[in-house]
Amino acid sequence: MEIKHLLHKEFTLEWRQKYAISGILLYVLSTVFIVYISFQTVSPQLWNVLFWIIMLFASINAVVKSFVQESGQRQLYYYQLANPVAILLSKMIYNTSLLLLLSVLTFVALGFMAGNPVEQAGRFALALLLGSVGFSITFTFVSAIAAKADNSSTLMAILSFPVVIPILLLLVNLSAHSIGLLQGTMINRDIMMLAAVDLILVALGLVLFPYLWRD
Amino acid sequence: MKKHWWKVLGVLLVLYSFAMGLLTPLKTGILDAQPASVRAGKSVTLLVTGYNSFYTKNPKEIRAWLKMDNERAMAAKNVEVVGDRDLKAIFDLPQFLPVDKKVQDFTLILDSPTDGASVLPSGVFVTQDSIDKTAGEALWQNANISGLHEKAAITFPFRNILGETIRNTYYHVPLWFAMFILFIAATVTSIKYLRKMDPNDDAKAAALTTVGILYGVLGLVTGAIWAKNTWGAYWSFDVKQNMTAVGLLIYCAYFVLRASFEDPEKRARISAVYNIFAFSTLIPLLYVIPKLTDSLHPGAGGNIAFGSQDLDNTMRMVFYPAIIGWTLMGVWMAHLVFRAGRLKRLLLEG
Repeated sequence: MEIKHLLHKEFTLEWRQKYAISGILLYVLSTVFIVYISFQTVSPQLWNVLFWIIMLFASINAVVKSFVQESGQRQLYYYQLANPVAILLSKMIYNTSLLLLLSVLTFVALGFMAGNPVEQAGRFALALLLGSVGFSITFTFVSAIAAKADNSSTLMAILSFPVVIPILLLLVNLSAHSIGLLQGTMINRDIMMLAAVDLILVALGLVLFPYLWRD
Repeated sequence: MKKHWWKVLGVLLVLYSFAMGLLTPLKTGILDAQPASVRAGKSVTLLVTGYNSFYTKNPKEIRAWLKMDNERAMAAKNVEVVGDRDLKAIFDLPQFLPVDKKVQDFTLILDSPTDGASVLPSGVFVTQDSIDKTAGEALWQNANISGLHEKAAITFPFRNILGETIRNTYYHVPLWFAMFILFIAATVTSIKYLRKMDPNDDAKAAALTTVGILYGVLGLVTGAIWAKNTWGAYWSFDVKQNMTAVGLLIYCAYFVLRASFEDPEKRARISAVYNIFAFSTLIPLLYVIPKLTDSLHPGAGGNIAFGSQDLDNTMRMVFYPAIIGWTLMGVWMAHLVFRAGRLKRLLLEG
């Protein structure tokens, strides 16, 4: 119940100050455009890597504000009103939906400019979904840590890049498979792995967050 | 002294692993057999180069076989010793081999009373002009490999490619084990900090993590040196190497995080949370992902772990003490770092 209200709050906030979401959208579009101008023709292999790199940076920029945006006092007020775990969960769910939107947009933009090499749409959609969930969980939790420090945006990059590399590797594998660059039956294991990593990170976040929010 | 016995034990065990690991000789092995590729139906003379061998001691009693599989092997017609490390083994190869393949690999086995048995896996490849399995079976003269000698000395196994670098098992692998134990200890102290909020636990976790990173770097360096000798390059972008580097980066970020807080209580709490987080990401990095992708490293990419095949009892006698020794030394170092930090804090508090 709490989560529903908190989610409603997140979406309302986003809707009121549209600068954040429009900034991210512009970021994605211009990156894709730069990529297109500098490469002209993009091979499927390059497409795959570029897609996930654009996604990675766009996601970090989209998620970093989730705990930094609101002032400390206001956050304290939220923690009085609601369970901290519910706050974290609502932020994760909100960021997942934001990143899903972002990934679909990146896909459309990159597909429009550099062609669409995806052969198995279902599998690629699964990669997008698992990727959005994984990125959102990792970055939300790391931004909760980074927000406690003064130089939070530097810290965000330092803390989250190494942590997200395993997820990114599995994602590149999975989407390479959906493009037809990789063959083999190992892919189901990759999907299971990705889901398992996501689950572990969610569980960790939920267990550790109650120690984190207090100041 | 009673309180410090474990420090002495740690140093002694590490010294023991240095002495035993470096001084014990390797078993006799076969470095090379020339020509490595021969044709069926001919008499061939294999020039065998031995390693740590003393062929001249009992030249009459040296026997040689070419083994095809577990049931079938052929004996050498004659073995001529040239020197301590060189001998000639003469085989009469039949016209046809009892197999369906054009090229069959044979394992060369030597046995001598002084050196014991030595093996060169897939040392000789025999090519036959045409395949005739039934004729091959009729021509085949099977020789039983029996009465192999054991060398009566303390030795480490000889493995082709590995050679003398097998000794790195006592440095590279125990450093990793010790690093892992230290990181587990750091995680446990971090959990303890979150439950009890005792500042000493935070300092302990930081000290354990420092030494853990030191061991990780040492493990990476010894691994790179090993890789230079066996894989051909210090860094071959193997998934295990890359993931290890990432894992260490995650732990290095722990110190960046610590440095960015002024308030000790806040720093302790948040770095404890991050330490637990870092440890749980280390397990998929080091032990799950390398298993799933292609890797040269033993225990990864479908390779069998080193211990299951190559670790014999002599090696275990050095390997396990080395793990215990490095761990104890690590705990001691962490303890020193912790105490130095505590003194610094006390000085600051005046």
